[in-house]
Amino acid sequence: MSPDELAVTICIVIAVYSAVRIALERNTLKKLPFLNVVSFAVTGVIAIILPHPLTILAAAAYFVGSTLESNAIASTIAGGPEEKDE
Amino acid sequence: MNEVVTAGCALLVLFGTTLTICERNAFDKLISLSVLVAGVIPFIVARGYLDIATATALIAPLSTIFTLMVLFRRQER
Amino acid sequence: MSPEFYVGLFILVAGTLAVAFPRDRSYVTRLINLEIPSWGLLLVMLSYDEALALFTFGGVSALTVFVFVRLIQKKEDV
Repeated sequence: MSPDELAVTICIVIAVYSAVRIALERNTLKKLPFLNVVSFAVTGVIAIILPHPLTILAAAAYFVGSTLESNAIASTIAGGPEEKDE
Repeated sequence: MNEVVTAGCALLVLFGTTLTICERNAFDKLISLSVLVAGVIPFIVARGYLDIATATALIAPLSTIFTLMVLFRRQER
Repeated sequence: MSPEFYVGLFILVAGTLAVAFPRDRSYVTRLINLEIPSWGLLLVMLSYDEALALFTFGGVSALTVFVFVRLIQKKEDV
């Protein structure tokens, strides 16, 4: 097994384990860190899986997008940005 | 793309689908939908469509934020 | 066929059933469930190597969600 295959296997195992933890977790706020772990692991899979110079661009786009998404979900649960000045 | 990665991404997609259908809270549904998207993107990259993968990875959070606009307005009342 | 085809077909059928018969009959539940068959159709298109269809469908699906969100907000205001 080459080092790339080993790395991509570790990444996908982390992603699937974290998805199982999301399924078993009851609290909504406690699900969000595991969602971040899934995003990081899948970013690693995308960066390793295809040897091409533009792959890092797709991985960066997915990283930025998924981080923005989970931040938006957490911010909406917390009540939105407008309540800060009261 | 070897068999382990294919099976792992298919598992991510199936987990995301089942959880999105079965959850009751809207935020839990959005989190599960994000897991589903995380399983779909490596399939697109493995086929070699890197431009489409980039565009899709940027569009998917956009539609989630549109859905959150409804939930935010409902939470304000 | 490739694994994308079977996974996408399963999501397409399961998501369509979830949109048609949701657990609670609210608009937001149906709107979130509507995104599942959209990703399934994306995977089926991917297995047939239709690059332009993928690109167009990805853009239009976000636009559809935006239109539905505006509609739900207008209906809740009344």
